[in-house]
Amino acid sequence: MPIKFKALSYIYNKDMPYAHKALDHIDLDIREGAITAVIGETGSGKSTLVEHLNALLLPSEGSLEVLDYEIKAGEKQKFLKPLRKDVGLVFQFSEYQLFEETVIKDVAFGPLNFGYAPQEALQRAADALKMVGIKEDHFEVSPLELSGGQKRRVAIAGIIACDPKIIVLDEPTAGLDPKGSKEIIDLFISLNKTQGKTLIIVSHDNEMVYNYCDDTVVLSKGKLVYHGPTDELFADKEKLKEFNMLEPQIVSFRNELIERGFTLSRQARTLEQIAQEIAKQVKR
Amino acid sequence: MSLIEIKNVSFSYNETKKAVNDVSFDVEQGSYVTVIGHNGSGKSTLAKLIAGLLPVKEGKILIDGKEVNEENISSMRTRLGIVFQNPDNQFIGSTVRDDIAFGLENKLVKSEDMDAIIDEYAKKVGLEAFLNYEPQNLSGGQKQRVAIAGILAMKPDIIIFDEATSMLDPKGKKEIKKLMYDLASGDDITIISITHDIEEVLQSDDCVVLNKGKLFMHDKPEEVFRNPEKLRQIELDVPFIEKVREAFAKHKIKLNADDLKGMVDELCRSSSKH
Repeated sequence: MPIKFKALSYIYNKDMPYAHKALDHIDLDIREGAITAVIGETGSGKSTLVEHLNALLLPSEGSLEVLDYEIKAGEKQKFLKPLRKDVGLVFQFSEYQLFEETVIKDVAFGPLNFGYAPQEALQRAADALKMVGIKEDHFEVSPLELSGGQKRRVAIAGIIACDPKIIVLDEPTAGLDPKGSKEIIDLFISLNKTQGKTLIIVSHDNEMVYNYCDDTVVLSKGKLVYHGPTDELFADKEKLKEFNMLEPQIVSFRNELIERGFTLSRQARTLEQIAQEIAKQVKR
Repeated sequence: MSLIEIKNVSFSYNETKKAVNDVSFDVEQGSYVTVIGHNGSGKSTLAKLIAGLLPVKEGKILIDGKEVNEENISSMRTRLGIVFQNPDNQFIGSTVRDDIAFGLENKLVKSEDMDAIIDEYAKKVGLEAFLNYEPQNLSGGQKQRVAIAGILAMKPDIIIFDEATSMLDPKGKKEIKKLMYDLASGDDITIISITHDIEEVLQSDDCVVLNKGKLFMHDKPEEVFRNPEKLRQIELDVPFIEKVREAFAKHKIKLNADDLKGMVDELCRSSSKH
């Protein structure tokens, strides 16, 4: 079941004096079951791209296939509800959208809305909260009383509770402290590795992208300029320069080690993995 | 005398927990102070207390030796600006020019003087070519620069940055950090920056570390990072180089160098192949 953009363009304020082409003829096939990062400078079209995945935005030109659904420019869409159940979108600063009186009610809102019976919706909410590491004694408190990292996990639980096949996260770690970020990263890795969810992550954090994302899509001024394995992108100094990207420190360190004669496998992309492989090559 | 003296300040939103608990430190004129701490450590509350957005009920804050209280808070506020986290939440004007003008209008600056002031500060932040742009057509870094220009036009002594770079892309972050550094070093503006960005802390003069509302450390950044285990204990991030040291220490490899190249040299020396 593909995620396929076909010559898709999106124009804000179409036919108006302020018309602005945010996406320009995008052809893109996103792998199922993988973690794909979408990166690019502010205004490059990242959010516009991912908001097509659950038809929050409809293409101005071209088309898009997501799972069994096909969305074509200019056609009325009949399957928005099932599509939005299958593709969950976690917005930037998603904690601002918490609104219910209690954590559990907030998380149950999605499943209720998609037609689950109240009892089942609550059960799904409880399961999702446990999965994101929110303990039962927090279920009945107001979401506003939680810390930033907890709030964001509750917002993500609201999406997980609807059991989507694809989860899109727009800047999931922005503004969180290191501990909060780590919690979110561990969460999405487990969603992918143990539950097989397809993840699409919009991020500015190139180190996180390098460490954890299988594939990377780079957008620049609304155009697709790269799509391929993450490690190949970051190994290519010319490309980083062309895309105006800073080389993450972890990549510089890895390159330096390889240049000085150490051997590192392709998988060694986190400091822990690098240290482990290097340790076998030095005398202690 | 220091420009800002914070003396035994506490603050609680409710009766059970103190968000800021008996915090004291001084900020020198023209210095660049970063405040770090995990979410919920009291950083933003402290920033709001200094800015007079929350009333100081326990302890004192003195600016230029004068205690900030309810009577003088509005005059103190003119000396101080805040740049908030979300660039989209702080726009008022429909163009960059209007936005910078907003503060000046409130200050009853004559309209014939306004254009020159606006031009001066737009130039200062590098946005002179963007004065007639609409805010939505600017990048995040540019929007934050407009916010800073609007504040500079009010001629403040102190600017508080409340996680002002956390929503920006790497390029935007770099732009704003450079501007902050220039304002503190070149223009004698005192900067207090609440941040999670360890690389930013390294460019500041002083670093205040908060933990659970209390002052945990207040020192030069080099000194603060000299003890990464202590920062780890309170769940704070450490610079990349310290992470490398820690990752290798787990494999019983002790690295002593202060830079990455030095560390790679050390590894080469003990490598079996070299």
